[in-house]
Amino acid sequence: MRTDSRLKRVLEKGYFAVTAECGPPKGADPKVIKTKGKILKGFVDSVNVTDNQTGVVRLSSLAACVLLKKEGLDPVLQMTTRDRNRIALQSDVLGASALGIRNLLCLSGDHQSFGNQPQAKGVFDVDSIQLIQLVRQMRDNGVILGGDALSAPPRIFIGAVANPFADPFSYRVIRLGKKAAAGAEFIQTQCVYNLPRFMEWMNKVRDAGLHEKVYILGGITPLKSARMAEYMSKQVAGMDVPEEIINRMKSVPAKEQRQEGIRIAVETIKALQAIEGVRGIHVMAIEWEEAVPQLIEASGLFPRPEL
Amino acid sequence: MDQRSAGLNIVIFFCRQLDANQDVNRRALEKELGSRIKFFPLPCSGRIESLHLLRALETGADRVYLITCPEGSCRYREGNLRAGKRLAFAQGLIEEIGLERERLELIRATQDVQMTIDERAQEILMREAVVGPSPIKKSVAGPAV
Amino acid sequence: MITAERKPLSEIKEMIAPYKKILVAGCGSCVAECASGGEKEVGLLASALRMDAKMEGREAEIKEVTLDRQCVYEFIDQLTGLIGQYDAVLSLGCGAGVQAVAGIFPEAIILPALNTTFIGQTKEAGLWIENCRACGDCKLGYFAAVCPITRCAKGLFNGPCGGSKEGKCEVDPDAPCAWQLIVERLDKAGRLDLLQKVYPPADWSKQQGKGPRKIRREDQIV
Repeated sequence: MRTDSRLKRVLEKGYFAVTAECGPPKGADPKVIKTKGKILKGFVDSVNVTDNQTGVVRLSSLAACVLLKKEGLDPVLQMTTRDRNRIALQSDVLGASALGIRNLLCLSGDHQSFGNQPQAKGVFDVDSIQLIQLVRQMRDNGVILGGDALSAPPRIFIGAVANPFADPFSYRVIRLGKKAAAGAEFIQTQCVYNLPRFMEWMNKVRDAGLHEKVYILGGITPLKSARMAEYMSKQVAGMDVPEEIINRMKSVPAKEQRQEGIRIAVETIKALQAIEGVRGIHVMAIEWEEAVPQLIEASGLFPRPEL
Repeated sequence: MDQRSAGLNIVIFFCRQLDANQDVNRRALEKELGSRIKFFPLPCSGRIESLHLLRALETGADRVYLITCPEGSCRYREGNLRAGKRLAFAQGLIEEIGLERERLELIRATQDVQMTIDERAQEILMREAVVGPSPIKKSVAGPAV
Repeated sequence: MITAERKPLSEIKEMIAPYKKILVAGCGSCVAECASGGEKEVGLLASALRMDAKMEGREAEIKEVTLDRQCVYEFIDQLTGLIGQYDAVLSLGCGAGVQAVAGIFPEAIILPALNTTFIGQTKEAGLWIENCRACGDCKLGYFAAVCPITRCAKGLFNGPCGGSKEGKCEVDPDAPCAWQLIVERLDKAGRLDLLQKVYPPADWSKQQGKGPRKIRREDQIV
């Protein structure tokens, strides 16, 4: 299916892709998005916009994607299944496509109890894999759930997430296979600090032949401080931050920790580039989008290919 | 002022195992104090129900005591522990209606001290009256002026 | 069983404030099993309310009765004759019981003393855990008898999510990750094949209904 997704073209042409994340504001000011877009432009192939991440109300992913598109970027719309039922989800897929958004990342989303609206009803009408499948049906078969035909199918490059560090470890690759079979075309993983564990996961992924079925982009989050490293290690579910990394951050004085974080990230990126089956990186520099250009340049990934 | 002098109504639930001759030993106090003291022996303190404690208060007790065997000595293993939990539950309930938790009290006997039931009761009567007569005993016709 | 918990006394008092003669009615079924509305609990609540009335110098007549079940017309009928003598009934039945009684005695005031919570099991003495959400379309056969709707916080049918850590759910660290359980059990039974295909979106209309759901059985009519 032809799409104008830059991300898809970069990956199809065999380049090592770079995507980044843009966190929308807790407010209605479009300037925040435009500013972040300007920082990232030229250093990345596509930009994800999170969807009320952690259950905190923010400017919607769809709106932010439109703003980024106006800035000349290739946005990745993120849709969780926590806040919308199948009617709204399918409707938003059509709307996104109509607005020229060509990439969609399907996730279940963080539970509503974590955010600032814990009394909200978590919808979970469908889960992330069912969402992948239904978007693929809309695009390839031109039908919605239940079989009604669409007057015009959406054009979407479908993505999903994978967490190589969550349990049960043995089942993770089977589930990745399920996502691929359901229609996922690219995968963005949870951020990588534990390289050996990641490589173990990639071994299993390759054994299952999945690296040829989906484009895998390894997640990268540069650490801002030793405290951040510790917080992520202990408080964030599904995160694996080895002691060596935490100690490395601690061993450096506070005002040099950001640079050390960047250094670690660059090393990780270089290591990921060497792993067979890893086709790119996804940089999640949360509220530190300014670090992305430096990171991409230091990793030798600038400039991005001309297509 | 001690509880005896304050004229408080005392109810004592206690485990039979604490005093083999409890029915004889308590007679003197029962005669002396009449309805101001009531003894309820239990086959095990763990047989207490929160409801018994509430009803004791409802029928006019000012203080209700539950005396259990020492920790680890319950003949039925954890009866004395269960007793504590039921008393705590009853305390929570009476607190919700504004009655002091202290009106219900758990006394755990200790291994080293052997006392008859009347000795225990005397000791209780000598204690300082930390709560006064129960507000339950006010007449229904209206609060005291 | 259906589980419930007693409302705080302050809330109950507010509800019964306008009434002097109150019938506290318990249920010997589910709520007795979860120690919130059986005969004992009726006794405890009635005793507390009587003492409370005395302390505040209020007149109150608080009587106790416990039905075998509060959700079946045949048992509720036993209240006929009794109910008319009281200003209000404080029911310790679950929501189904409270409404069933109110349906049979529409002129009476029936008040709920409990918050009905969930369908669950008695895991051990003093511990009740939710395990069913009455979806009307039981899928337990595909998930090793672990309900993904009830026991997975996100209700995933193709789980686990990325937050499962050491067999625990990221939302409630005391709760086991349902999907870890499902995968382990199916693996042991040699039936991981059941998870190969994408389990399709559920038919939630079976749970949601068009208003209150009902079951009609002609063969059961007397």
